[in-house]
Amino acid sequence: MSIALNGQTLSTSDLHAIAHGESVVLSDAARAQMRANFESMPEGPSILEEKRHWLVGGFASELTADELCRTFILGHCAGVGELLPDEMVRATMAARVNVLATATTGCRPEAADVLIAMLNQGVTPRVPSQGSVGAAGDLAPLAHIARVACGYTDRPAGLPDYRPNPKEALALINGISMTAALGAVAVTRIERILDCSIAACAMTMEAMGADAGCIDDRLLQARKHPGGIEIGERLRIWLEGSAQVVPNQGANAFSIRAAPAVMGTLVEELCCTRTILERELNGSGDNPLLIDGEWIEGGNFHGAPVAQALDSLKIALTQLATVSERRTFRLTYGQLSKGLPSFLVRGTGLNSGFMLTQYTAASLASECKGLAHPAAVDTIPTVQHHEDHVSMGPIAARMLLEITECVADIVGIELLLAAQALDLRMRGIGFDAAGEFMEVDCVTPAPRIAAAHAVVRQHIDYWEDDGVLHPALAAAGKLVRTGEILSENGPW
Amino acid sequence: MGMPLSINGSSLTIQDVVDVARNGRTVCLDSDARSKMEESYAWVQKACLQDQPVYGVNTGFGSLARVKIDPANSAKLSLNLIRSHAAGVGPLLPVPETRAMMLLRANALAKGASGCRPLLVDTLLQMLEKGVTPLVPQQGSCGSSGDLAPLAHLGLVLAEGDHGRVTFQGEVMSASEGMRQAGIPRLQMEAKDGLAITNGAQLTTAIGSLALYDAISLVEAAELAAAMSIEALRGASRAFVAGVHALRPHPGAIATAGNLRSLLAGSELIDSMPEKLQDAYSLRCTPQVLGACRDAISYAISQVSIELNAATDNPLILLEEEGENKAFSAGMFHGEPVGIPMDVLKIAISEVANLAERRLYRLTTGSLSQRLPPALASKDRPELGMMVPQTTAAALVSENKALGWPASMDSIPTCEDQEDHVAMSTTAARRAARVLENARRVIAIELQGAVRALEFRKMETPNIRLGAGTAEGLTRAGEVLHSLGEGTTPSDEIEALTEWVRSGAHRSLVSGLEAVS
Repeated sequence: MSIALNGQTLSTSDLHAIAHGESVVLSDAARAQMRANFESMPEGPSILEEKRHWLVGGFASELTADELCRTFILGHCAGVGELLPDEMVRATMAARVNVLATATTGCRPEAADVLIAMLNQGVTPRVPSQGSVGAAGDLAPLAHIARVACGYTDRPAGLPDYRPNPKEALALINGISMTAALGAVAVTRIERILDCSIAACAMTMEAMGADAGCIDDRLLQARKHPGGIEIGERLRIWLEGSAQVVPNQGANAFSIRAAPAVMGTLVEELCCTRTILERELNGSGDNPLLIDGEWIEGGNFHGAPVAQALDSLKIALTQLATVSERRTFRLTYGQLSKGLPSFLVRGTGLNSGFMLTQYTAASLASECKGLAHPAAVDTIPTVQHHEDHVSMGPIAARMLLEITECVADIVGIELLLAAQALDLRMRGIGFDAAGEFMEVDCVTPAPRIAAAHAVVRQHIDYWEDDGVLHPALAAAGKLVRTGEILSENGPW
Repeated sequence: MGMPLSINGSSLTIQDVVDVARNGRTVCLDSDARSKMEESYAWVQKACLQDQPVYGVNTGFGSLARVKIDPANSAKLSLNLIRSHAAGVGPLLPVPETRAMMLLRANALAKGASGCRPLLVDTLLQMLEKGVTPLVPQQGSCGSSGDLAPLAHLGLVLAEGDHGRVTFQGEVMSASEGMRQAGIPRLQMEAKDGLAITNGAQLTTAIGSLALYDAISLVEAAELAAAMSIEALRGASRAFVAGVHALRPHPGAIATAGNLRSLLAGSELIDSMPEKLQDAYSLRCTPQVLGACRDAISYAISQVSIELNAATDNPLILLEEEGENKAFSAGMFHGEPVGIPMDVLKIAISEVANLAERRLYRLTTGSLSQRLPPALASKDRPELGMMVPQTTAAALVSENKALGWPASMDSIPTCEDQEDHVAMSTTAARRAARVLENARRVIAIELQGAVRALEFRKMETPNIRLGAGTAEGLTRAGEVLHSLGEGTTPSDEIEALTEWVRSGAHRSLVSGLEAVS
């Protein structure tokens, strides 16, 4: 089933699916509305034609509309640096189509059709990832896409022979569709990371015999934060039937006891960011707009609302990173892990076991702190005093994606260690206060935890002895990214 | 290329690192260093049979130093260390950075204080010569106790066993296959080998060495671009007079002012507007800002140059010291001495780019550019000119601000609180390399603008004489642009000039920092 783009209902998860190859179609209603909007255009030159003197100076009077469009688009192809991954280019194209489908930009449906044909035929332009300040939109990256759409460069056969009119040339690039698209893909990835981190946290709690008080619904309801309430509920579901996580075990350390508070913050931030992104994805991020047959100029291309949301999400996600890293620290720390061996292997000393996994988690968590520096606090005047405040939203989006990669690995590490810890409990391997081995009762984990543990063990072996850590870390990171631990198996 | 580089643990330079890492210079171990290594190796072999605990030789690692290890297991201990510490994640390191890390590790061992066999160094040097490069994930090191995980990934290739991956002759393969094809025997691990391979901040320093080499080149490119912009904006030379800078004698500022004077010598555009007493800061304060960056880079060079020739592992074997126990446990692996310079480097390079971006803004803004065409758009053909590249430059410098957050300011306790302060120096160095990459593009964009601007001035006044250095800069950078031909986008121009700056082709026009070699 193709996803219908109608300018109204595009979700972050739709965009993620399109990024990974889902086909798209312009809804009939949107097509009709776009046509009607185009036909409502008042007599007289469009905004780009009005600005032609400013844009091309002495050539203003000589240039045809077609030449003006070409000059305008090619002149905006000023992106630099590494190329955006193909899935991000696809998401960006679909996001731009949906802006055109709002039928407020004065564009003909043909402008949407060419991008849709590119998406459905798998024609993905090469788009450098750097160079946009996120106001007046993601001009450079979108121009690299428009260059292919308009046939200003070599391109595969079979695409519509599309030539933009001047308003369309502007509308193809005048909004923050790349920022929004990157944000949408990130949100979908972060939703999966959050789900996995709840599983990992529950497994850690099970392996550590955590006190159940901190996830008691009455306690969390009393503080009223919906995110904390949700995390508590989801941890309880994972731990249903647990003989280990029960009341009156003695208060847990904060990384466990306050997990609903910390991880709940991400729940709320994700919700807020998703709402803002979906508004943007279905909003008229262009300038000027054609409303009631009248051109209205404004600043709908400015990335500030999205930049702010993505920066906030970076912070919340970094908190998930730091709290998971602290649980990893406890799992590897003999004196803090309630009878588990240092670094979670027997015969420690000759073996370093999982010692280094916590270093890796710490290093990644530290990277997140740096990447969380807010992009939106900066602005630099551009374009001859005209664009004197910009959003830096695309930088926020790219840094958010980097943090997302770090956190997927951090949560993978917690999952790896929690599974190892649980194995030790299941095998009745215990250690006394002096670190000496003693046999203890074997633990039977809660059913859902046992099932998740079994998924981990399909890919990663229990360690008796030192092994090479890297393959285990890579496999654990993959379990998080594919969602396999949650019985999903979707693209990242 | 030329003579092999001989390493002895005390004479390696940043230039040497570049020669080996990027240009394939071969390396050999100095014979005195070889005998010194033999002596400390002999001591370790003896020590591991005795009761005296020696960290990591007959004890566990990190907080597990409390556990005594049977001498019969010393070799297993080394192998386990390598295998269990190979905990890197994320994208792979580029080949030159990996090669630099190998060279640095070899040089640290050549110091003869690590108690390991010369064969270990010989094997590393053979891998460099034959082009066997380990696959090393970039992420996961805290920079203390050294770059453990990245170096352990190197160790996986050195140590015999079914582990480790390499690239060899353009192909990715298992370490055993790559080493077999290259004809290099892998090693049976012995006592302390694991520590000798992994204990030290060599990845931080490897990335740092290459970044510093590029930073010097970048500052020189920035001075050329600045001189060309100042000339095109008809700037005043009095701000660069030697006597002025002698009164506030920061060495970097004196050097930059000197370079600007020689680049601009003889220019008829400079001082051509006597009514203008002084220029905007992005022109007038170029010596102060770029000079401060030069001084910061000099500091980083001096730190990295010390680290290049340091013994960094733990424990160190000091045979000259009194007493039975020649093994000294200390914290030589800690990345802080390189981490802080790398964070400083990020700030300096960010400022090089920030200043260039503001000059570019002036060049492209009609009301600020002394009557250059708006956006420096051509008068021969319709185009938007430099309108959008200036925005690109703004995006790049803003990104640097986000990357500039000082990594070495952070620390997270590791290893059961035994390693309770870590450097995060590797992150600092990796970020410095990215900041540099962004800054290089900003300078390329300024050059793109400055070429256009000076070409306009020559069109206005055909026979006008330009500065001694700027005229040559215009010719060379102009050739890069004009050779691109029809149908190029601003993006193509920027990337072409970026590669020109990366190649160092501008360097003969500007006098460099002496501290590099």
